[in-house]
Amino acid sequence: MTRMGFSIDLERCVGCQACVIACKTENGTPRNIHWMRVLEKEEGAFPDARRSFTPVRCNHCANPPCVAACPTGAFVQRADGVVVVNESVCVGTMACLTACPYYVPARYDGGDGYFGKKLTMYEEAKYSNFREGTAQKCHFCYPRLDEGRPPACVEACPADALNYGDLDDPESPINIELQRRRHFRPREELGTDPSTYYLVGKGGGPAVGVS
Amino acid sequence: MTLMPDRLALALERAWTGWRGERRNHGNVDHGFQLDLPVQKHWGGRVAFYLFLGGTGGGFVFLEIVLRWLGVLGTATAAWGMWIGLALAFLSLLAIFDHLGPVARWRFLYAFRRPRQSWISRGVMIVSVLVLLRLVVALPTVPGAEGLPWADGSILGDGLRLLVLGFALAFVIYSGLVISSWNAIAFWNSALVPVLFVGFSFLGGLAALPVIAWLADGLTAMEQVGDAIWPIVLALIAGDAIVLALYLHGMSTATRPARVSVGMILRGAERRRFVGGVVTLGLLIPAVVVTLETIGSLGTGTGAALLLVGAVAAVQAGGYFLRDTILRAGVYGPPV
Repeated sequence: MTRMGFSIDLERCVGCQACVIACKTENGTPRNIHWMRVLEKEEGAFPDARRSFTPVRCNHCANPPCVAACPTGAFVQRADGVVVVNESVCVGTMACLTACPYYVPARYDGGDGYFGKKLTMYEEAKYSNFREGTAQKCHFCYPRLDEGRPPACVEACPADALNYGDLDDPESPINIELQRRRHFRPREELGTDPSTYYLVGKGGGPAVGVS
Repeated sequence: MTLMPDRLALALERAWTGWRGERRNHGNVDHGFQLDLPVQKHWGGRVAFYLFLGGTGGGFVFLEIVLRWLGVLGTATAAWGMWIGLALAFLSLLAIFDHLGPVARWRFLYAFRRPRQSWISRGVMIVSVLVLLRLVVALPTVPGAEGLPWADGSILGDGLRLLVLGFALAFVIYSGLVISSWNAIAFWNSALVPVLFVGFSFLGGLAALPVIAWLADGLTAMEQVGDAIWPIVLALIAGDAIVLALYLHGMSTATRPARVSVGMILRGAERRRFVGGVVTLGLLIPAVVVTLETIGSLGTGTGAALLLVGAVAAVQAGGYFLRDTILRAGVYGPPV
């Protein structure tokens, strides 16, 4: 069995948003819709104030609430655990948005591009991949995965903060990294069994995995 | 294979939205870049309207059949009630259809595919069967169709009404379960939400019946029906108020997102909707008017009846605001 997972090293992330741009470039998501985000938070007060960065994306849960909530079966879990949207059967109930505790899916309702009503050639080409009124979300760049290439966000990260691999393979780089580092999974208590691991704490040597 | 070609869906969409010149825009989310507690914005007035109409319509249908069997309602009132209940259920379907994704909504039949796992699927199935059954049951009241074998008083007719009763109750319960079944939004994920929605559904349905009696059989019928119904309405108002207070108290001591939701309702952006719509319109005004009627201080005649109609309208508005407020105050927890 294969279960694709994702690790995010919170010590390494510098908040450059390169993953966000890479995701946008790769998938051409419409205006206001971000499959990958780096959330910022200000902590403390001067002179000890700091900003922390937390990359978030679809966690491709093993027990995905979006799949259970969808009345049409538009949310499908692939054999490798990646959760994808079949836009041809989505009717836009937004039940997936409501059910997802990570606030990940979005509904594309058409509309303007980044530079006004007239779409650029790039936007026209990319937006044509999306059906109006249907849900969309990160699909783990599965076309790239199927070609043996890393997801666009992983490839773009200059700090090697993002990693991915097969969680069911004990020898996979992501599992080696997880054995060496302290980690947690987002909102595990909700029973979603997410496939994303956040690495925390110093140490562990150089990053292992695809870079 | 898709259910409907995109070109046909687009043409139908233009016809549906063209009359109001609406063009929705961008994504339906607020994908910000700050680590905070996002407020849900994708389920708004239309879903609230669907839950209100469906719930109240279901409660109305359920009570109308029960009270008719108990002999509280006359034949004409029941016939009016049947058609109004049908119209409410149908309107609720239109509201949810309008909420669906532009263009994509024309493939709405796909929503029937997953009743075993999705509450939305169960809901559309229940309300669709309810509308169809209701239509079938109401047919013998249409001039020319009186001879149908399931007419009033027949065994087949009673059987069909029993089915309607079951589906109406199922839909009332569903209208609360649909939002409380997911744990993403703590404020909705409470066992008291279905109780609250069921309570307000029965309150809305029951309060409407004396008004229907006035429309169908005149003022005397309203007074007769009212004698039996107003005390129950008063008890329901009190019960709903208690459940609402318990729910808000429970949420105010729950997780941080739930506490933020309560704050939004009691002190924040949703305060006016809650205090004005749910508490004042939905509970206080009807409680005062119905109490006066129950103790015999409201008087008789058209003036008193109009006051009661106003109270019933306030109950309905309160029912809508309850769903709308709870939906708008839905706050997600932090994603990490």
